[in-house]
Amino acid sequence: MHYTVPKGSITGLFRNLQNLGYTVVGPSLSEGVVRLRELTGPADLAAGVVDVQAPGRYSLGKEAPLVFSSVNGPDSPKRYLHPADVELSRLIDGGGCIESVSGFHSNRKYAFFGIRPCDLRAVGVMDRTMLMPGFEDRVYSALRNGAIFIVVNCTRAGENCFCASMGTGPGAESGYDVSITELPEVLLVDVPKRSASLFQGIELKPATKAELRAGEEMVQRARDQMGRRIAEQDPSKQMYAAMDSPAWGRVAERCLSCGNCTMVCPTCFCNTVIDRNDLRDGSVSRVRVWDSCLSKDFVYSAGGNPRLQRMSRYRQFVMHKFAYWPDEFGTYGCVGCGRCITWCPVGIDIAETVNSVLRDQLAAEKKMEAHHVA
Amino acid sequence: MPRLALHSLTRGTVRGVKKETPDTFTLLFELGDGRTPADFMAGQFNMLYVFGVGEVPISVASFGREEHVMHTIRSVGRVTSLLTALPPGSHVGVRGPFGNGWPLAEAKGKQLLVIAGGLGLPPLRPVIEGAIAEPGRFDGMKVMYGARTPADLIYTYEYPRWQAANGCDLLLTVDRGASDWRGNVGVVTTLFPKAGIDPGRAVAFMCGPELMLKFSILELTKMGVPAERIFVSLERNMSCATGTCGHCQLGPLFICRDGPVFGYPRVRGLFPREGV
Repeated sequence: MHYTVPKGSITGLFRNLQNLGYTVVGPSLSEGVVRLRELTGPADLAAGVVDVQAPGRYSLGKEAPLVFSSVNGPDSPKRYLHPADVELSRLIDGGGCIESVSGFHSNRKYAFFGIRPCDLRAVGVMDRTMLMPGFEDRVYSALRNGAIFIVVNCTRAGENCFCASMGTGPGAESGYDVSITELPEVLLVDVPKRSASLFQGIELKPATKAELRAGEEMVQRARDQMGRRIAEQDPSKQMYAAMDSPAWGRVAERCLSCGNCTMVCPTCFCNTVIDRNDLRDGSVSRVRVWDSCLSKDFVYSAGGNPRLQRMSRYRQFVMHKFAYWPDEFGTYGCVGCGRCITWCPVGIDIAETVNSVLRDQLAAEKKMEAHHVA
Repeated sequence: MPRLALHSLTRGTVRGVKKETPDTFTLLFELGDGRTPADFMAGQFNMLYVFGVGEVPISVASFGREEHVMHTIRSVGRVTSLLTALPPGSHVGVRGPFGNGWPLAEAKGKQLLVIAGGLGLPPLRPVIEGAIAEPGRFDGMKVMYGARTPADLIYTYEYPRWQAANGCDLLLTVDRGASDWRGNVGVVTTLFPKAGIDPGRAVAFMCGPELMLKFSILELTKMGVPAERIFVSLERNMSCATGTCGHCQLGPLFICRDGPVFGYPRVRGLFPREGV
């Protein structure tokens, strides 16, 4: 059900979330970048801050008279639901055996406040891997189970966004606990029944037809603004045929193998467990840290290293998003958030990679055909 | 069906050590939770943890009716060099079993081809021992095993028993011979014409280096063994063993979760293929 509330009601919403035991996480300005931070109140929100993004570029522009003015910073809910550095267990060598003295435990409930529709969809993508029946990840499931999502629909497209191509935005259709579209004067909110308690003490005015239409039009404007797109409607199947496309090598020549793309990607989950030895008491902390398929040693094993070439590692990153994930789960691993484009130090554009890989493959096939005819 | 202990560490106490080659050792473990080899399927693997150092995936080499859980380990890295130096009585952490195991039912009543290279033999050892313990299960078994040199062959002390077993033929080969080597020299596929393979009723289980698998698949296919009856156990960097770390990914497959044993049609196009 759609309602409108005054913009000032965010204060009440914050209070309700905190009273319900949630740790509120949302966009906040930090050292010139909009990060997802734990917020103590509405004043911590990056209200009015406008981010300007381009391949390999991030800066802040002129302020805008909006509460939800920035698009996407480098953080996504991944930073909280699948932490970059988390202790899985602490072990001691009890002489006769290895004993676990503590394991991961959390009763923290996150309320993601002001995340964008693409990031909500990214959580759904991450769920497939981390909550696969029989293989549930205990850290992710503990943090994920308590989380709620207050999503803000996009009324402006970032320069690197291509969610419309991926079908993940700019408006959220389902899966949220509250969705907000910021109109010039009020907030248009969709509050499913189960979320009513979040609006306790806040007057919800049923939205008028004109307000609903205004919201739709603003989201449509963001869709129309989006310059970046994947040319093919459903590229997953063609990607396999294009695995030897010459475009891979061309793009990989620019790739530094730094792994920034995988760190900022809201669906990249790869990790490694390391042992941190405590010399004071002899205990060992088994810590899980983010890892990246762009790293040279990522697939190294006694049998060799199947991805020594940088091209093969970069191809793995893109194929996983655009071919392997669809094969495994029937959903793309990419949500079109554009972060990997912004935070790539050399500005490699994943949408352009997919487009050129498929274009070159098609050209090569046409050439072959012509050859046969001749 | 064995219990799947995704994260809990079981104590594994070393009860026996055998030196296979200068750098490869077989360790026999007694498990703290009372599980025996019967709780592990042929082709599955365990994660072995050395306190304060790390974990490695190692195939289960024991056969269900044996007393101890057996692992054969080559010393190549930080963790395996410590594992292979463990004296009897010492202990490690054991997590597992993981993976799907060999499709023994699919091979029932057929001619079973066991094709292994180097350290690809341990995950097939329970298959061999199982076939010997139950002679009528397969319509003959051909074990074809290759190593770099005669000194690299493992389980040599078992060969006389395997050779003597009813319905079992053991064929050995080495890449490079030695002065006292009278056997076959050449890659494992050079054994195929000598093995009496019947393509019409053969089922192949194979494990070894990727190149060996590649050429074995090619040869078997040429001989007329259909892809549906070729099964490979793949090695990748299994790190979490639960399909959530990404290290062992092969296309849409996670070797730890979906494998390590695959029917060839499932991996064709992705394996063997450079850089995937």
